[in-house]
Amino acid sequence: MKQKPFLATITAGSILLLLLPQVSTVAGVSEYMIRFLAIIFLWIGKTGCWNIVAGYTGYIDFGAVAYFGIGSYVTALLMTKADLPFLLSMLMSGLVSGLIALPIGLPTLRLKGVYFGIATLAFAEAMKQIVLEFDQTARLQFFEGPHGITLPIGPGNEFFYYAGFVIMMVILGINSWIERSKFGYGLKAIRESELTAELSGVDTLRLKMKAYAISAFFLGVIGSLEAYWLTYITPHMVFDVLITIQMVVMALLGGMGTVLGPAVGAAFLTLLYELLYKDFPYTYGIIVGVIVVVAVLLMPRGIVGTLKQKSKCKMNRQTHT
Amino acid sequence: MFGIVVAFVLTAGVHGTALAQAKFRIGYAVPLTGTFGRDGNLVKDAYAFWKDLVNAKGGIYVKGKRFPVELIFLDDKSIAAENAKLTERLITKDRVDLILGGFGSDSVFAGSAVAEKYKYPMVSGAASSNKLFERGFKYYFSTLGKATEEVRGCVDIAQILSPRPKTGVILGSDVLFTALACEGYKKYAEQNGIEILHFELFPITLQDYNSMLLKVKQKNPDVLFVGSHLMVAMKMIQAMKEIDFTPKMVTFSYGPTVPDFIKNLGRDAEYVVAASEWAPNLPYKDALFGTAREFNDNYFKKYGRYPDYVEAASAAGVYAMQVAIEKLGIVPPLKQADRVKLMEELHKQDLMTFYGVVKFGPDGANEAHPPVAVQIQNGKLINVFPKEAAEATPWYPMKPWKERQ
Amino acid sequence: MLLFLQSLLNGLLLGGIYAAYSAGFSLIFGVMGVVNLFHGEMVMLGAFITYFGFTLFGIDPFLTLPFSIVFLFIFGYMVQRLIINRVVESPPMISYILTFGIHLIVAYSALWAWTADFRTVTTSYSGVNANVYGVIIPYARLATFGIALCVVMGLYLFLYRSEMGRAIRATAQDKEIARLKGVNIHHIYAVTFGIGAAITGMAGSLISTYFIIFPQMGLPYTILAFCIVVLGGMGYVPGALWGGLILGVIQSVTATYLNAGLSGALTFILLFVMLIVRPAGIAGKGIIE
Repeated sequence: MKQKPFLATITAGSILLLLLPQVSTVAGVSEYMIRFLAIIFLWIGKTGCWNIVAGYTGYIDFGAVAYFGIGSYVTALLMTKADLPFLLSMLMSGLVSGLIALPIGLPTLRLKGVYFGIATLAFAEAMKQIVLEFDQTARLQFFEGPHGITLPIGPGNEFFYYAGFVIMMVILGINSWIERSKFGYGLKAIRESELTAELSGVDTLRLKMKAYAISAFFLGVIGSLEAYWLTYITPHMVFDVLITIQMVVMALLGGMGTVLGPAVGAAFLTLLYELLYKDFPYTYGIIVGVIVVVAVLLMPRGIVGTLKQKSKCKMNRQTHT
Repeated sequence: MFGIVVAFVLTAGVHGTALAQAKFRIGYAVPLTGTFGRDGNLVKDAYAFWKDLVNAKGGIYVKGKRFPVELIFLDDKSIAAENAKLTERLITKDRVDLILGGFGSDSVFAGSAVAEKYKYPMVSGAASSNKLFERGFKYYFSTLGKATEEVRGCVDIAQILSPRPKTGVILGSDVLFTALACEGYKKYAEQNGIEILHFELFPITLQDYNSMLLKVKQKNPDVLFVGSHLMVAMKMIQAMKEIDFTPKMVTFSYGPTVPDFIKNLGRDAEYVVAASEWAPNLPYKDALFGTAREFNDNYFKKYGRYPDYVEAASAAGVYAMQVAIEKLGIVPPLKQADRVKLMEELHKQDLMTFYGVVKFGPDGANEAHPPVAVQIQNGKLINVFPKEAAEATPWYPMKPWKERQ
Repeated sequence: MLLFLQSLLNGLLLGGIYAAYSAGFSLIFGVMGVVNLFHGEMVMLGAFITYFGFTLFGIDPFLTLPFSIVFLFIFGYMVQRLIINRVVESPPMISYILTFGIHLIVAYSALWAWTADFRTVTTSYSGVNANVYGVIIPYARLATFGIALCVVMGLYLFLYRSEMGRAIRATAQDKEIARLKGVNIHHIYAVTFGIGAAITGMAGSLISTYFIIFPQMGLPYTILAFCIVVLGGMGYVPGALWGGLILGVIQSVTATYLNAGLSGALTFILLFVMLIVRPAGIAGKGIIE
């Protein structure tokens, strides 16, 4: 892919998106569209986080939502019990998630394949149950369990649109940096063959932990933002395994281990739901399922991955003629 | 020739838009799939029932004309964030005139925040958590009372039971509504002198209740109070039978009033007491639905099943909105000023319906609502409390499983 | 003491149920390395076969077992042969997504066809139990326990004593060599999947006699089967029994003496610890990559 025109498109697109809310009334863009785009930004962000670990190291994480939930709760608790302002709470959410990722990542990242997946899933489910049961078991009033926490009313959709946009660009930027840095090179080496990487002297555990912590930090930040947007959270909402599943499906459809893959996958799936669920309230699940099956069989590398492969083949053919 | 075609198209277009404008478009987001998929479908049926009755007369009657109703509904998949998004979509993209509430406290909580932001009055009949009313919202209305008050009938019924129950255990699933129902049980148990031996909230995803109930069985309470939705209520009865546990009375905050409960459990459902806010034998009536009994029977004719109280509350809620619209004389498409007036009118309303009196307090909760208790007797839901409204005396104590033929 | 015995028994019976619906998952993973994310849907299908057999034709649930076994076998065989077969050689991630896509198709098709209504299979003997010296034993669960034991034993014998079983194990161990020896790999995989599906469907049929069934019930069963099989050792079929029994007892005793919410948290904490300390499962015979 040529760099210059690509960068130009990205910049143009970004400027367009940034201006959109300002011209929305003139351009006939509804408030809903702003909300809808903000939701896409945040899904791109979440999927991008997941991609950092799963896409580049090949470690399939089924418990990513845990950090999202932790981020939500940290912000909710700090804002309601310590009266901290949102931005500070959001930062704390990221830090706490990132810190928790360290003792969790250390033992689990030594596991291989599906075992890593189930261990992280167990962690996420355990977190949900702990937050639900803590108050009842410890006879305290802290997490509020099933009653949930109500956050102070925040700004309108525009704020979340811009915040989501910024976070999305940061995460895509990190993915892009990973793609070209030595750090990323190390991660990809782990994905290709961990044993070889280790034998070549790469400290695989440290690299994996770094990726895992970065991913956790940003998931925490996004969790914080979404909690503030929705103004009400319960453990069932923010530790929902379906959130992880969506990240996984989006990454795979778009193309794992690529920069744009998560973006394409997230946008594609969100748009798909949007087009389907009004007219097919009971059957949209079937249609999405069929699309997923067909996509996996025909394009196992995802949309972006398959396109990349095709262009490589084309380039190879061109150089050989 | 061309001119005629253009003129025709133009008039058709104008006529078309005029026709399109002469409708009330009402939107709502409700769970049709997911954890509360079953319950959400009930709300959808209730709103459809109202719409068909209104449209059969030509529509809502405003300023001498009739405006038909179009309902637009979307599936929130039992996810709160989804409900908020869909509510916003209905308001800003589909540009509906009015919004109705969905099902379930979490989802309605999220959706009503959006409605409040856009100044759309939302009337709901399927969510009752106290938190919904503690936000200082002006645009949220509920025909149901607060969750902690809804269960009052189930506990106060102790006053007319003999021998009077002295001990109880409270169990509930770990979601908002049921947790609040348990708080309500606790409050009224204390008032009625019932000692609570054990209080526990369990995961809504818990597959096996037997081991948890063993603990309860051992404590041998007179009454088992359960905070539940339909599935939890059904599972609880199944589990009680499996471990042979029969307290003198078992009561559920929600579940037994849905026909599935009796249909699936058959004889095992007998003696079960449930909270209700409405029963068909109550002396209520209104101009659209008729008497409570008529509503009950007509609902059966249309859907092949009797309505549960959430369906009644939802239908009453949208009817209250209709009455307010007719009184104000506002015509579609509604403008924001119309909706603000609607909100004010709803707060002033004091309306008798087939469901009982609908009178919204300043916090949006229905003030005039006596929590009723019903019991399943001979496969039917019978109003057993309060005494003045009861159809029959409560059966007490519960017959042990092994003795039932 | 009686309370403890009762709780223990409940746990064992629950463990039998767990084993019944997890054995198939373990088999499929052991032989093909596929983590089947529509596993729960097979439980659901078996349950609905029994439901319709019972409510429409009045067939006793236990007599519907052959139907669910046969139907699910065919279903499993076809799905494997036609769809999953294409990705057996691909990275595991692909099979997760593929089986997840099938999960969506089956679960939502069922929802569309049968609506979200909750259903039960309530027979004359539902919930009926025996009282042995004060300990209550529900018949339906006891039957499931017994059948689960037979199934696990039967499967074990099948894998080690029959020719087909040997072929399956050979394929699992090294498919290239098995292929060289003339084994039709694709057929073996399909048969294995069929057997796994059949057992799971049968478990679903049994479960319908005491749990509530509805089209979207599958996902929690898949997750729990995953946990149980890991506890017992992935790919080691008797492990499903050990994992199931241990989990069942722990959950039961926790729910009785502490609270049910903790039993949920403990399940996952236990699993997490197991994976770190002993990923090969309790018996140490699980397949680690």
